[in-house]
Amino acid sequence: MKITVLTFAQTRTQLGFAEKSFECEPTETPREIFRRLAPHFDPGKTVRVAVNQEYADWDRPVGEATELALIPPVSGG
Amino acid sequence: MKTRIEFTRSPIVPPAPEFSSSEIGACLEFAGIVRELENGNKIPGLFYEAYEPMATAQLEKILAELGTKNPCDEVLFVHRLDFVPVGEVSLFVRVCSRHRGPALALMGELIERLKADVPVWKRAGK
Repeated sequence: MKITVLTFAQTRTQLGFAEKSFECEPTETPREIFRRLAPHFDPGKTVRVAVNQEYADWDRPVGEATELALIPPVSGG
Repeated sequence: MKTRIEFTRSPIVPPAPEFSSSEIGACLEFAGIVRELENGNKIPGLFYEAYEPMATAQLEKILAELGTKNPCDEVLFVHRLDFVPVGEVSLFVRVCSRHRGPALALMGELIERLKADVPVWKRAGK
């Protein structure tokens, strides 16, 4: 299946793209997907992941999700 | 609770309040303004970006939760994106309620939650 991967703020600079369509399996977790997509990228403890626009667990399979986003520490206001 | 959430790339011009009920007794407004100094250095302004659909969904969720704890009548939330020069408003929030307590509490908590959970980012410069 295809999943759209989105990056924002500093993660966009680190990964070098804003949006990318990527082949993955429903059983894969966001951590596994990013390990394949960007082997040198380490989300550490501060970058969260959103699956279909909801905060999600890095280690929970994405299922039939269509969108995956990296959410570095936010700073609105 | 009536809520309106907007992201805009133009200067924020808050609309005049239109109270939906003659029982509204408190109307609180907050404006976040871009300051000139960032870590002691002068900057021209701040550049904001957002993951807009998720930011809107998160704000709706946060407001539903906060509105249960602090019943208010109306919330208007406007966040500016892209470059915002020093001295201009980046965030405008208006909360109206029957009594001041819930409006003051909701406003404070909403801004804390915005800064913790809503996918909006800023960086110095254009």
